[in-house]
Amino acid sequence: MGDAFLLNVVLYLPVAGMILLLAVPESKADTIRWFTFWVMVVQLALTAVLYAHFDPAAPGLQFETRAPWIPEWGVYYQIGVDGYNVLLVLLTAFLGPLVVAGAFTAITKDVKLFYSMVFLIQFAMLGTFVAQDLFVFYIFWETMLIPMFLLIGIWGGERRIYATLKFFLYTAFGSILMLAAVIYLVYSLQVSTGITTFAFADLYQARLPLPAQIVLLSAFGLSFAIKVPMVPLHTWLPDAHVEAPTAGSVILAGVLLKMGTYGFMKLGFPLFPDATHYFTPAIMTLAVISIVYGACLALVQNDIKKIIAYSSISHLGYVMLGLISLDLIGIQGAIIQMVSHGLTAAGLFLMVGMIYERCHTRELAAYGGLAKLLPVYSVFFMILTLASIGLPTTSGFTGEFLVLLGAFTAAWPLHAAGDSYPLIMAAAAVTGVVLGALYMLRFAQSFLFGVVKAPHLPLSDLDLREKLILAAIVAAVFALGLFPDEPMRKTEVAAKQYQQLVRTARLPGSAP
Amino acid sequence: MNGQAILTAMLPEHMLLVGIVFLIILEIGGSRRGALALSVLMVGMAALFALMLHVTGYSAAPFAGHFSAGPASFLAKAVVLALTLPVLLMAHDDFGDDGPFYPLLLSSLYGFCLLMSADSFLTLFLGLEIMSIPVYVMVLLAFRRPESVEAALKYLVLGGAATAMFLMGVSLLYGGKGSLALSAFTAALGTTDTMATTAVVLVVVAFFLKAAIVPFHAWAPDAYEGASIPVTAFMATIIKAGVVLAALRLFGTAPVSPLTLDLLAILPLVSIVWGNLTAMRQTSFRRMIAYSSIAHAGYLFYAFLGAGPGRFQAVVFYLIAYALMNLLAFASIPPGKDDTARDNLDAMKGLFHRHPYAAVMIGMAMLSLAGIPPFPGFVAKFLIFKNVMAAGFTTYAVLGLVGSYLGIYFYLRVIQYMFMSAGEAAAPEPAPGRLAVYAGLICLVGTGVVAVLPGWVMSLL
Repeated sequence: MGDAFLLNVVLYLPVAGMILLLAVPESKADTIRWFTFWVMVVQLALTAVLYAHFDPAAPGLQFETRAPWIPEWGVYYQIGVDGYNVLLVLLTAFLGPLVVAGAFTAITKDVKLFYSMVFLIQFAMLGTFVAQDLFVFYIFWETMLIPMFLLIGIWGGERRIYATLKFFLYTAFGSILMLAAVIYLVYSLQVSTGITTFAFADLYQARLPLPAQIVLLSAFGLSFAIKVPMVPLHTWLPDAHVEAPTAGSVILAGVLLKMGTYGFMKLGFPLFPDATHYFTPAIMTLAVISIVYGACLALVQNDIKKIIAYSSISHLGYVMLGLISLDLIGIQGAIIQMVSHGLTAAGLFLMVGMIYERCHTRELAAYGGLAKLLPVYSVFFMILTLASIGLPTTSGFTGEFLVLLGAFTAAWPLHAAGDSYPLIMAAAAVTGVVLGALYMLRFAQSFLFGVVKAPHLPLSDLDLREKLILAAIVAAVFALGLFPDEPMRKTEVAAKQYQQLVRTARLPGSAP
Repeated sequence: MNGQAILTAMLPEHMLLVGIVFLIILEIGGSRRGALALSVLMVGMAALFALMLHVTGYSAAPFAGHFSAGPASFLAKAVVLALTLPVLLMAHDDFGDDGPFYPLLLSSLYGFCLLMSADSFLTLFLGLEIMSIPVYVMVLLAFRRPESVEAALKYLVLGGAATAMFLMGVSLLYGGKGSLALSAFTAALGTTDTMATTAVVLVVVAFFLKAAIVPFHAWAPDAYEGASIPVTAFMATIIKAGVVLAALRLFGTAPVSPLTLDLLAILPLVSIVWGNLTAMRQTSFRRMIAYSSIAHAGYLFYAFLGAGPGRFQAVVFYLIAYALMNLLAFASIPPGKDDTARDNLDAMKGLFHRHPYAAVMIGMAMLSLAGIPPFPGFVAKFLIFKNVMAAGFTTYAVLGLVGSYLGIYFYLRVIQYMFMSAGEAAAPEPAPGRLAVYAGLICLVGTGVVAVLPGWVMSLL
């Protein structure tokens, strides 16, 4: 009981913060900022307690709350932490205070509404991760759109309205098809078993015919693939990232994109394992295309935000590759890669925001030799760049290496059996590592080194607030790079469950 | 006919009648105040009595064969009468505390109450007309604007056409069965007999006309735009609810024959798509809401595809969510210089910076109308599409959902105007009146209850 209470406190703290913010007058901007910051810090502290108490050996949900919500439909308010979401919950809580602190100087317009929306999106993201009932999940999933819509649309750049409408309408289209699929899934289960249920655990037992599974996985998959985003459904991402304020980009890259991969891992693949086998080559291909194509696009961008945006597409391709490989190492690598990308991309977007606040341009060509002008900034930037490339000792290495290891491990026996396609795909994915080094080093080279130039001189180096934000992220990046075994222990049981669920064919005679 | 039943079963109607009579006396006496308070009191009492009769499970037929009231009809009356209270409160800004608006509104409600208890086509017809005719006059009440005359006339003519079709259908039914009982209609629903089917189609089309289903929707945008805000709110919520609930009383829980089924599925689907598409192009807020309500009428009639008690639950739940949201939006619109300026969508630009709470409320209403969680519009839509799919119409359900997707854009546009566009530096409009704020708060509390405890609300229906 006490445990369940803790998770509810973590989840509803942002809502309480939002309501309390109403009482603060708009003119007291600093009070609003610091209040939001400390609420987020408290949330992080409570989440850390939660993480520490998470028992890695126990299967099933921990900190679980289950109460009837719409009894007539069998909808339960069910939330809980398991190996699937424990790291992502921690990541979300970790980025919360950093997002808030990062926006201290950047956001001066409608401050109260801004931090209310940050609270709201924090609530919706945590809710999406911890929801264990499909109906509740869907509500949180959609709720996320509203604050993001406003964050981009109010505090964004010049083409913000175009970008935010594109973001909303793109993702809402996926969602509406997912909604149809949710209704169909629950209803067909009701017909076959007589029970109306939305609980994930019950839905995993569904035995649908293959054609139905294929249609449903397509609907769920479309919604998730838009969120990831996977090529060719990625076109909303660069616009959204470029136009979003720094805080929006950080939330988007840090947490929101993981919703897609988390959705595949928690719902898409395990709910429809037979359809997943059917689609495996296609998903694998799309994942590899995302890795390579995203990297190629990042290579030719001149807008520094776009480089990181496209690199996100590439990095999340690894996550998809790891998830679909169904190798234990690969799955765990995918989870680590999600967290790692959340840290590095968030850090890089924060750094881009810092330079943008000083110079008001994101043109790569406008910068050069920043290492001489901003030594501290450059050190942090280089560390995050190398982490993004996947240099050993950083989190990026752990994630990418494990994913590729998993992909090869899974592909090898198939190759021996005569199916070389997975092996070719795994090999193609390796080129992404090379391309990743290429675009990030090109970026860092022209950004930090070479002829000294900046659009706005003199430049002041990072202040204490900025240093602390980046130091926190860099510390987390190294922690995950040097000691990955601790988080991997926490997710191992879930990774095995996922592997088991997806590997086991539900239908007789359709074993892989 | 027995006196006891007439006294008890018709308590809500009696309250309204007392209210109408006193309002007219007030008007004749030349009093300049008190009409609003009296209307609120009588409508509130009527709603309360309806609720009490529903809770006690009272059921009686004061005029056997023509008028009966049971728990379901008391519930419908209680819900709709209670939803009228915010309309009355927001009317103060436009109509003050006297004038013909109040007795007309109460008369219209009286007609609605008759509809909910109708057992024969005679009562149903009486109810429909008593409900509609005051509204034609109410549209005209914004007579300071030239459009309102045209709008009222259009509404009157098309309303007359609906009445004619309805009567034609009823006479065909009577010709076939020799009965005016509503059960003749439910019996005709299941048959494939040509005359019976024609009758059913005519009656259904008459309801489509009244509820503004494409292609019988042309009157709605003009009427909504021409009327003043409280009247538009009344038409969009209460009258729409009345028409749909009357159709529900007519259909009951009876299954529908395949031919009528296609009519019931295709035209609402077209309404959803067309209403949502056309709403995108509107520059007037009320016209936009008119097209939005055309689309919503589509969802409501979708609920008729599923048979059984789920139909009643889905329709009533949807109406509650839909009416609360519309009323929340209408109550929160700040009064402009004049009614026309208030109507323009451009007037909403930068509203957040002038009246933040009004903007947030309208924003929530728009998201709920668009069916975005966590607002009640989502659960309501889910309920309807769940029933449609459960009835086996997977294709229609998916198409309807995709159609509802088309609507998201124009609701978002309102939010975009309010939050993301800078307003013109015009003279700041006054804040919404105190009573309108109360109306908004009532709707907000209702919305909150439906959003947080949808299961509890459903269990009551």
